[in-house]
Amino acid sequence: MSEKLLEVKNLKTSFRIKDDYYAAVDDVSLSVNKNEVLAIVGESGCGKSALAFSIMGLHNRAKIEGNILFKDQDIANLSISNLNKLRGKNMGMIFQDPLTALNPLMEIGDQIGEALLLHNKDLSKTKRKEKVIDLLNKVGIPRPEHVYEQFPHELSGGMRQRVVIATAIANEPELLIADEPTTALDVTIQSQILDLIKELKDDMDAGIILITHDLGVVAEMADRVAVMYAGQIVEIADVHTLFEKPLHPYTRSLFNSVPNTAQAKSKLHVIQGIVPSLQNLPREGCRFSARIPWIDASAHEEHPELHEVSSGHFVRCTCYKHFDFPEGSSKEEQHHGIS
Amino acid sequence: MEANKLNTNEELKTHKSPSGFSIIWRELVRDKLALISLIFLILITAFVYGVSFVLDQEEIVTVDLFSIHEPPSEEFWLGTDYGGRDIFGQLIIGTRNSLSIGILVTLMSGLIGIVFGLVAGYFGGHVDNVLMRILDFFQILPFLMIVIVFVAIVPKYSIWTFSLIMTAFLWMGIARLIRSKALQEKELDYVQASKTLGSSNIKIIFTQVLPNITSLIIVTMTLNLAGNIGLESGLSFLGFGFPESTPSLGTLLSYARNPQTLEYRWWIWVPASVLILLLMLAVRNVGEALKRATDARQRRG
Repeated sequence: MSEKLLEVKNLKTSFRIKDDYYAAVDDVSLSVNKNEVLAIVGESGCGKSALAFSIMGLHNRAKIEGNILFKDQDIANLSISNLNKLRGKNMGMIFQDPLTALNPLMEIGDQIGEALLLHNKDLSKTKRKEKVIDLLNKVGIPRPEHVYEQFPHELSGGMRQRVVIATAIANEPELLIADEPTTALDVTIQSQILDLIKELKDDMDAGIILITHDLGVVAEMADRVAVMYAGQIVEIADVHTLFEKPLHPYTRSLFNSVPNTAQAKSKLHVIQGIVPSLQNLPREGCRFSARIPWIDASAHEEHPELHEVSSGHFVRCTCYKHFDFPEGSSKEEQHHGIS
Repeated sequence: MEANKLNTNEELKTHKSPSGFSIIWRELVRDKLALISLIFLILITAFVYGVSFVLDQEEIVTVDLFSIHEPPSEEFWLGTDYGGRDIFGQLIIGTRNSLSIGILVTLMSGLIGIVFGLVAGYFGGHVDNVLMRILDFFQILPFLMIVIVFVAIVPKYSIWTFSLIMTAFLWMGIARLIRSKALQEKELDYVQASKTLGSSNIKIIFTQVLPNITSLIIVTMTLNLAGNIGLESGLSFLGFGFPESTPSLGTLLSYARNPQTLEYRWWIWVPASVLILLLMLAVRNVGEALKRATDARQRRG
């Protein structure tokens, strides 16, 4: 069995809004193994990025409870200086928007070189440059010697994202968190970037947390998938199981909302309502119940828990047993097998 | 084939991003007004500091009752004041004193303000709260009154002590400005990205955030320099700056408070006024060019 790289136990990240703390990530437990891609899927505002930021220790003023074990070391309450020894060396992060993730006033070479320098003070300047150019080659940037001396504004979005990736993998981290790495890019560049991340995973044997709301990306990349709703994981399973047999009403609704060319004439399924804001989040009962009002209240659990329906496949709340789409909204539930 | 390859290589070289002084230089050359201003500033600074080594301040400020209110002549290029003192000599020493104070105050208040603002803005929260309340305290102190009291009770003050007392009340503006910018800047992804690489906070503040607000700092400091020269002149004009034995541009201006001087003896106050105007304009023009040079998005070419 593969090694456990990261284990998150009962993580709760709360933000302060008007003197009260509200949990954006509520009791999340998950784990990532070496050489595995765990995808985290969910709507905007469901706490995906908050989860990633908590793992990287980027939330300054949020209250973080629970444990984050990175190779059996609890990093949730590590001091900044100790955390800095891990960040960049053992764990890296790829940001969503390559336009803002690079310092506009630093040459590309210096930005990538900084990551190297921070964790290896003795690296000589020429060695560093060699290594940076190696990295630029690795992420598929043409004419790396030239790009080395350019500024971020001189590069295209795809190139910049490659630079961001090069920076994140400079020290060959064991854990890579990719926070919507392809959202800001167009489709052709997207697939190139995804291929790149995949290659890197195989090369470095790294564990990757891929945060996205694009189910196509999930099918392409992930080994396991965690579906998040309103700060909680509602379903977690390996990618084949999830795509073939989604159980939780939210997961099924998500799949049903994917535009499908085979049914171009039929209306697209829309999940009713919106994700409630942090302050108005129902803390009791099934959090998704408000958006499937046609399901009888008795179907939900009072304190929804994750139930293991088959090996490695967990679903929160019992309402999935009674869930069906309302009549007329959708002819037939589509099945999204992975080819 | 070979030649072709060479060609593209050369092309690459010319495409290399320019950096540092070459950018500033190109920006200055492209903006003729700034170039002229810079040359003017360098010349006048070199001139007043150079000549004041040769000139004897004591001799110039010594009263000479036989040559009161003389118009410009061969002996006194710009005439004399009511004490028979040479205006031209006073103008040179005055410009030097005014420039020295302006630069000192700007640098010192800038340094304090930048560090204060960066720390408050970057760390935020309680640190920000405490620092900002200290700043508020300094801001409510009546600047003019304290300077006047200082001038009244300290018998002999130098350029340094006068600059220090001005600095003590002039760093708040820039601190506030830098803080607000740092508050914005620290939320940007590149700061977070730098954290994920393992950079320490201090390093991020001074190597990432600071360079990104240099344009703001340069513009503010330049305007402050012009403002501080004006402020010193204003204080001296009101009689709360340096005594007549230590001339500055402001003391020369203050002679114009005498209506007769204002109307009939232009040589006493016009050169000083023109010089203040030119200095401020020149400083501002250079500052604008520097601002464009430090910001890749605003460069002209």
